[in-house]
Amino acid sequence: MMDILNQLIGGFAVALQPMNLFWAFIGCALGTAVGVLPGIGPALTIALLLPVTAQVNPASAFIMFAGVLYGALYGGSTTSILLNTPGESGSVMTAIEGNRMARKGRGAAALATAAIGSFVAGTIGTLALTFLAPAIAELAFVFGPEDYFALMVLSFTSVAVVMGRSLVRGFAALFFGLALGTIGIDTQTGQTRMVFGMLELLDGVSFTVVLVALFAIGETLYVASRPASAPAAINPLSGGHWMTRQDWARSWKPWLRGSVIGFPIGALPAGGTEIPTFLSYALERRLSKHPEEFGHGAIEGVAGPEAANNAAAAGILVPLLTLGLPSTATAAVLLAAFQNYGLQPGPMLFATNPDLLWGLIASLYIGNLILLILNLPLVGIWVRLLLIPRHYIYGGIVVFALVGVWGLSTSWIDLALMCGLGLIGYVARVYDFPIAPVLIGLILGPQAEIQLRRALAVSQDDWSVLVGTPISASLLAIAALLLTLPPLLAWRRRRAGSAEVQPASAG
Amino acid sequence: MPGAEETQSRGRQSRPWWLGLALAIMGALWLNGARGISSTTNYIGLGPAAIVLAVGLGLTILGVLLILQALRGDFRAVDDEAEAPPSRSAFLLALAGVAVPLLTMRWLGFPLTAMLAFALVTHAFGSRRSALDLAIGFALGSTAWFGFSRLGISLGGFLPLIG
Repeated sequence: MMDILNQLIGGFAVALQPMNLFWAFIGCALGTAVGVLPGIGPALTIALLLPVTAQVNPASAFIMFAGVLYGALYGGSTTSILLNTPGESGSVMTAIEGNRMARKGRGAAALATAAIGSFVAGTIGTLALTFLAPAIAELAFVFGPEDYFALMVLSFTSVAVVMGRSLVRGFAALFFGLALGTIGIDTQTGQTRMVFGMLELLDGVSFTVVLVALFAIGETLYVASRPASAPAAINPLSGGHWMTRQDWARSWKPWLRGSVIGFPIGALPAGGTEIPTFLSYALERRLSKHPEEFGHGAIEGVAGPEAANNAAAAGILVPLLTLGLPSTATAAVLLAAFQNYGLQPGPMLFATNPDLLWGLIASLYIGNLILLILNLPLVGIWVRLLLIPRHYIYGGIVVFALVGVWGLSTSWIDLALMCGLGLIGYVARVYDFPIAPVLIGLILGPQAEIQLRRALAVSQDDWSVLVGTPISASLLAIAALLLTLPPLLAWRRRRAGSAEVQPASAG
Repeated sequence: MPGAEETQSRGRQSRPWWLGLALAIMGALWLNGARGISSTTNYIGLGPAAIVLAVGLGLTILGVLLILQALRGDFRAVDDEAEAPPSRSAFLLALAGVAVPLLTMRWLGFPLTAMLAFALVTHAFGSRRSALDLAIGFALGSTAWFGFSRLGISLGGFLPLIG
C-alpha cells in the first residue's frame, strides 16, 4: 500500500514536469476535438500521432495519448447532447436523454452532469487502476507461455463474440487480422511468409496503415457515398440553466453507480466502453424515482452512462498495462505505440520502467482535471468545431491519413495497402463487420504464435501442456464457453419460443 | 410496378455471397502459401508454416459459412432500409482522392498530392469551389510537410520533379 503511494508520488513528479503538463494539455485538447468531430476517434488520432512520437520521450508521448483517450470521451458526450450524433460508440446512450434535455433548453445542465460525471468516474476508475494494476502485474509474473497463449485465445474469442453482431462476421474480421499478422519474416526462424515476392512486405504490414485505412479511409468512403445523412441542427446552448440543486441530487448516485459498473467491465478482455453504458442506462431507468421522464430528458440517463463510459476507459488500461492485452481498438493502438518504443507492456514494465508507467497513471488524474476545466467553461469553443463544413473535415482526414501512412517509410506499397484496405474498410462498414477484431488479431496474433510455439518447445511437442496449468485450462474453458453459450442459448430460446407458439396456434 | 422492382433490387442487394467468396479465396491463398514455406526447421514444436495453415483453414471455413449465410439471406447491408440509395459518383470521387497518391506521390511530392487528394474528397462531399479547395489542400499539405520535417519525419521531397 505504502509502496503504491510512493510510486504514485514518483509518478506525479514525472507528470507534473512542465513539459509533460504541456503534452497532457495538448492530448486533452486534441482528444476533446476529435471527440467532437465526426469520423475521427481516439484510436485513429493516436495512430496518426505515432510517427511524431519518434522524437518525444515515451513518458511524454503516453501522457499525451492518455489525454486523447480520456478527452475523446468528454468531447463525444458534447456532440451527443447538442447534436444527437454520438462522436464515439460509447456515447450513444448519452445521446438519448442528453439530446432531449438540450431540446428542452437544459443543454447546459446535461453537459455539466456529463462532464462532472466523467470527472468523478474517471478519477474513481484511475484510483482503482492505481491499486489494482500492480497487484495484477504481480499475478502475471507466474504466467507461463501456455497461460499467455490461453489468455490471448480468450481475448480473441471474446473480441470476436462481443464486438460483432454475428459470430461469423466477428470471426471473419478476427481471422482477417490474424492473416495480415502472418505477413513478413517469422521472428523465430527467419523464414519469410506470405510476402508475395515483395521486399517491402518483409517487415510485415504496418499496424498504422491497417488502422488508418480501415477507420479513416473506409469511413470517408462510406460517408461520402451516403449523401442523405445530413448533419442535424445544433441545439442552442445559450439561455439554459446550469445544474440546479435537484439536478445534483439526482446525478451523484448515477455517477457512482456508473463508475462501479464501468470499471470492471472495461477491465475484462473484451469489455469495451459500450456495454457498461447500456447497462448503466438500463439500471438508472429501473432505479429512478422519475421513470416517466426517461425518453424525455432524464438527467440520470446522462449522468450514469457518461460515468460508466469514463470508468470503463480506465478499466481498459488494466489488462493493457499489466498483461499487454488490448481489448479495444484504442488499446490496440496504445500497444502498438509501446512496441514502437521497444517496450512490452506487462509485469516486467512495472519493474523496468516505473517512471513511465506511474507517470502515465498520475497523468490520468491530472488529465481528468484539465478536461473538466476544458469542457465545463469552454464548451462553447468546442461546439464551434461543428461549424467546419463536413467536406473540409473529411478532406482533412484524408490528408492526415496520407501523412500518417507516407510518413512511416515513404513507401509506395503502404499507399497501395491503404487504398486496398480502405476499400475493405468500406465494405466492412456497409456489411456491418466489426473492425476492432482485425486490429487485435493483427497485433496479438504474432504474440500468440510466439507463446504457443514457446510452450510447445518447452513441453517437447506435448500439446497437453496447453491445458497443463489451472490458469490456462480455466481461461481456455471460459473461451470455449463464450463461443458455445450464446448460440446454445439462442437455440434453446428458439425451441422454447416455438413450443409456446405451437399450443397457442393449435388452441 | 416500381414496388416489385424495388423489392427485387433489395433482395439482390442483401445477398452478398461474393464477400464469403473473397474470404475463401484469401483462405486458399494462405493455404497455398503455407505449402511454400519450407519447414526445414529442426526446432521442436511448431514450424513457421503451422499458423499460416491454421489461418488459411479458418478463413476458408468462415468464407464458406458467409456464403451460406448470404444465400439464405441471413445478413444484408446496414443501410438496406435507408431511403436514399448510395451515391456511386460521390463514392468514386472519394476513392479517386484516396487513390491519386498512388500515381502522383513519387513525382509530384507530398504537398501537391495532398492538394489533389483534398480537392477530390471535398468534391465527393459536394463542394464545388475547386480553386478554394485546391488552395486549402495545398496550404494544408505544405504545412504538414514543413511541420513534420521539423519534427524529423520525412515526407519525401517537397517537389521531387525539381529536385
